[in-house]
Amino acid sequence: MFANVRQTVADWIFRARSPESPPVTLVQRRIFILPTRQGYLFGLVLLVLLLASINYALSLGFVLTFLLAAMGAVAMLHTWRNLAHLKLRPGRCDPVFAGDTAHFRVVLESPSRERFAVAIRRQEGEPVFVDVRASEHSVAALPAPTSRRGRLRCGRLEIFTRYPVGLFHAWSYFDFGLAAIVYPRPAPDAGLPPQQSTAGDDEGIPVPGDEDFGCLRPYRDGDAPKLIAWKALARGDDLLTKEFQASASAELWLDWIDARAPDPEARLSVLAHWVIETERLGQSYGLRLPGVTIPPGRGDEHRARCLEALALHGEVPGP
Amino acid sequence: MSGAIPNAALDVRNVMWLLAAMAFVVAPHAFRLPEWVGVFFALVVAWRAWIAWRAARNPPRWLVLALTFGAVAATFFAWGRIVGRDAGTTLLVLMTAMKLLEMKTSREVVLAIHLGFVLVMTNFLFSQSIPLGIYMLACVWLFVATLVGYHRGVGRTPTVRERLVPAGLLLVQAVPLMLVFFVLFPRVQGPLWALPQDARAGLSGLSDSMTPGNISQLIQSEATAFRAQFEGEIPPYQLLYWRGPVLWSFDGRTWKVPDFNITGSLSYSRAEKPVKYVLTVEPHGKHWLFSLDVPATLPPFSGIRQDLQIRSVRPVDVRVRYEMTSYLEYRYGEKLPANFRALALSFDERRNPRTVALGRQWAAESANPTEVLNRALRLFNTQFTYTLEPPLLTSENPYDEFLFDVKRGFCEHFAGSFALLMRAAGIPARVVTGYQGGEVNPLSRELLVRQADAHAWVEVWLEERGWVRIDPTSIVAPNRIDSGINAALGPIGVIPSLIAADRLGVLANLRFAWDALNSQWNQWVLGYNVERQRQFLASLGLEIADWKKLAIWLTVATLAVGGLVGLGLVLRDLPVRRDPAVVAWERFCAKLARAGLPRAPHEGPVDFLARIESQRPEVAAEARAIVERYVEARYGEGISRPESRDLLARVRRFRPA
Repeated sequence: MFANVRQTVADWIFRARSPESPPVTLVQRRIFILPTRQGYLFGLVLLVLLLASINYALSLGFVLTFLLAAMGAVAMLHTWRNLAHLKLRPGRCDPVFAGDTAHFRVVLESPSRERFAVAIRRQEGEPVFVDVRASEHSVAALPAPTSRRGRLRCGRLEIFTRYPVGLFHAWSYFDFGLAAIVYPRPAPDAGLPPQQSTAGDDEGIPVPGDEDFGCLRPYRDGDAPKLIAWKALARGDDLLTKEFQASASAELWLDWIDARAPDPEARLSVLAHWVIETERLGQSYGLRLPGVTIPPGRGDEHRARCLEALALHGEVPGP
Repeated sequence: MSGAIPNAALDVRNVMWLLAAMAFVVAPHAFRLPEWVGVFFALVVAWRAWIAWRAARNPPRWLVLALTFGAVAATFFAWGRIVGRDAGTTLLVLMTAMKLLEMKTSREVVLAIHLGFVLVMTNFLFSQSIPLGIYMLACVWLFVATLVGYHRGVGRTPTVRERLVPAGLLLVQAVPLMLVFFVLFPRVQGPLWALPQDARAGLSGLSDSMTPGNISQLIQSEATAFRAQFEGEIPPYQLLYWRGPVLWSFDGRTWKVPDFNITGSLSYSRAEKPVKYVLTVEPHGKHWLFSLDVPATLPPFSGIRQDLQIRSVRPVDVRVRYEMTSYLEYRYGEKLPANFRALALSFDERRNPRTVALGRQWAAESANPTEVLNRALRLFNTQFTYTLEPPLLTSENPYDEFLFDVKRGFCEHFAGSFALLMRAAGIPARVVTGYQGGEVNPLSRELLVRQADAHAWVEVWLEERGWVRIDPTSIVAPNRIDSGINAALGPIGVIPSLIAADRLGVLANLRFAWDALNSQWNQWVLGYNVERQRQFLASLGLEIADWKKLAIWLTVATLAVGGLVGLGLVLRDLPVRRDPAVVAWERFCAKLARAGLPRAPHEGPVDFLARIESQRPEVAAEARAIVERYVEARYGEGISRPESRDLLARVRRFRPA
């Protein structure tokens, strides 16, 4: 019930704000504090102790009751202080493939003292606890499961603490507008992209005069089955993989049109798989999507650019 | 929502801390409650520790339930009820054990810690001594440290230091507020609801009757009866007769407080040598209060009877403290109403015939009552022995047995037989019980009166003299009156004998110091009641008329002290006062930025100035003055306060287009 009240109060006081520019310092008026359920229970126990002290005229009972009550009051200050003047900055949010877990990172910095057991959570999410050493940075990585490709927004975050004795819950909200890019889940059985410059022979029969075929190298985990030199294997050699040396120079276009799949999302998955595979093969590739064309290139940055284009395909450019 | 860090509840060390705190807080009870309670609790703690250690399963629900019912039943069998101080505490200890057994979540752990706080309180029902107070403070510290353990330590168990230091800090910072509340919280007179019968169990003291043998039981007790702090010199030892219940009714064996209740007055025909003193009386559960013979004033909420016995309106269930004045030389009661005279002469003719006969014989042979008195005193002086262990008087005629056969006895024997002899001789007489003497604490100049100082003497009524105190014991054992019970009887028991042997040595001094400390503790901590609160606040200049005024003061003081503590905590965090030069510089840069010339992050003041001079020549001179002062303040010798004010003023005037 108190959680509901707290939520209502908080919603009323903290109307949704637009993303803030970092760093956010938790100044006094941003921090809210209320007793926890245990805090209310503690209050009840104090009342019982007080009544017993009065009734039995126990001076030491009064001492105990008042000491505990004062301890509770001091604890409230400590809880509040555990958040006050904490500096928050957004951290890195690495892109992930749909279905994997993204991590939103928040960097906490305490200009003065150590802070203990400070928790950050997304709405309805599990809190992540961190300690913050004095004038050091601590990073809270909030796991967020993903299901769909696109931009996963972190939304408003709650930072709270109950240190030292759990009688009070001090909390604040902040919103950096954090978002993680979620790539489409690659379709693993999509095969290789149609190679305009190679013969698409599935059996991998060497084509005379084919300049793309370079050499054989030892098999590495993850090599596509169709690149395995089956003939060589049949001759009794080790498991070898065909290396297409010439592919580096060839320009491969991964095209929306070529990705045959029942629906657009599946097409994006196929394309994602192609991007990964082609990149792994070291081939230069470009990406053609409706409305987006990424000129051919290679390397991690290029790959990320292509995957991001796939992830954000169809997204209305928003604010 | 649980308040603790996830998995903290299951952490072995957290559980061990809780169990240790519990064991500490229950330990004193183990000596007060039946043995099986302590044994059972210890077994449960060990069991729970094993569960935590081996990560074993908690006992099944039905077993806990069965044990719970068993505990309630056992408590009932042990005490005949399940409420009251002893039974209630037993039940609480057992229920706490059950809670420990079944607890799994951190919420249940926190509940157990709250039970721990209540257990601390139950200890105070049995004792509020200084050592127990300190011990319980340590227990509270342990509990708070346990609580801290559940809210600290991310990904690891907090160390001993990480628990004890924050908990100690919390408690230390709580002390000022606690003191404010202790001093100012409105105290209430008396219980809010009826106290259980056993709430004041174990009180010792005088009773309202005297049978040969019952005071000598009290004599064994080293417990404090009351303390007296005199204004000025302590009167001579032989005048320290602390008056208690006055016994008139006599059935041949037992002397009793009569049933009549006639209010007396404090008027004496002669009243000299007033002494002022403050008495702090330990609770004894009865109505009477003590004073030196004879009282000149009355304690609050009390009345005095015809026989100068002061009676409190309420039973003395808590320690009471009152100011008294007494006259050491007095004369009163020259007129004895007939009904009192009859009561003071009555005795059962059929009992103690030899004693009665002796009294009558003296009366017949003597010219006046004084002669009778002297004969009686001479008899006691020559033939009797004072002893702490008199033979039991079992016959129907105990005073005959004592006077003519045994001839060894204690104050109640002497007083009882003397009063009977007087009555038989036609002299009105009554027995007064109370305390005699006391021990002076040389450090605090306080007189400590123990139960061991319990005494009984006689008052006889003489024509034209009124009531006169006669102490037959002083005739038999003058030491008893001159220097106290230890001198008269020799050492009692082991520790008193040590003390007696060491009367003026280190041990005695230590004991006196400890006693003085206890006395202060009793007065200021344990005896801090409505009256004392009013007195104390008055001494501070606060005339507190009623609880409303007290409540206002309490609020004011709480805000003031709480504010100071809070400020102390919060001020340390406020951003330090910033260098005015930096403030000025930031404003200067902000103005330029608004004017379309932002400083690049990498640009130092001198580089920035160069750019300003080339791009905004019209403000170059003023900008140069500002930058130069800023550079001097930050990188040079520093600038004085007027100079920094000047810098701020220049920045304020600075207007880049």
